[in-house]
Amino acid sequence: MVRAILNNLKTFWLILALPAAFMLWTFVRDRDATFDLVHPSGEFSVRLMILAMMISPLIEIFGPRNWLRWLLQRRRSLGVAAFGYAVLHLGFYLVDMGDWEQIWKDALIFSIWTGYIAFVIFAMMASTSNNAAQRAMRRNWKRLQRLVYASAILVAVHWVFVDNEWRGAAIHFIPLLVLEFARLILIFNRRSSLRPE
Amino acid sequence: MKFSQAMMALAAATAMQIAVSEPAQATGKIKCDAGPQTGWVSRDTLEAKLKEKGWTIKKSKVDGGCYEVYGTTPEGDRVEAYFHPVTMEKLLVSRRGQVIFKKD
Repeated sequence: MVRAILNNLKTFWLILALPAAFMLWTFVRDRDATFDLVHPSGEFSVRLMILAMMISPLIEIFGPRNWLRWLLQRRRSLGVAAFGYAVLHLGFYLVDMGDWEQIWKDALIFSIWTGYIAFVIFAMMASTSNNAAQRAMRRNWKRLQRLVYASAILVAVHWVFVDNEWRGAAIHFIPLLVLEFARLILIFNRRSSLRPE
Repeated sequence: MKFSQAMMALAAATAMQIAVSEPAQATGKIKCDAGPQTGWVSRDTLEAKLKEKGWTIKKSKVDGGCYEVYGTTPEGDRVEAYFHPVTMEKLLVSRRGQVIFKKD
């Protein structure tokens, strides 16, 4: 019974939505707190994106495992939730700025436009994260979803340059980098062992 | 791995992340060696002085022994600015990570 509830996709969604609910509640209660919500909403978006991205290399490394299949079944939820937090992040930022001229001036700065491009990629991926789009787009669906690697780089750059500080971003991105590196080594080894001497 | 184990691993990873990322309070962008805090002017004093000059202030805190202020300059730029906590001298100003003023 407990297990069934815990494994329910709706429960998973509820858990993913909890921080957002807390942020929105803070926002509604105290508009002055908007400034303080910009960073955490962006950070949650990054965490969910990274978690979703870690699943493939983990499967490559560990092979099919139950816990990986459990995660794989929730990858779409993770990705869409990452977009949800990106929407909050952008929303809080815009409200906090509160001035279109300032927003436009900001958008021309490298650290900010990288974030906007990543957001557009997220939006494209999230809007096609359903079975109908997957069927209709066929091979192009996979191609589009692979843009996540570009958005990951953009997001990392956005974070490091906005903060003018690399540690926060590094803590989040290093696990993914390590996994991707391990995956590359595995693929390389497999290829070279297949090649005739 | 069972569901509970996966959740525990996730929780541990998150806790670790928070533990590692929280002490990043001193961002290392700039350091002020201004002696004990008893000799500092208060943040309220600094904020009041800046407002007088035409700033609007979102937030201020201590970072690397300096006062760090988030707000809008009289010129209308949204910035992050560092001030010396004793002399209130402006040390570093940046817009979205782009340094627009740095004291020599």
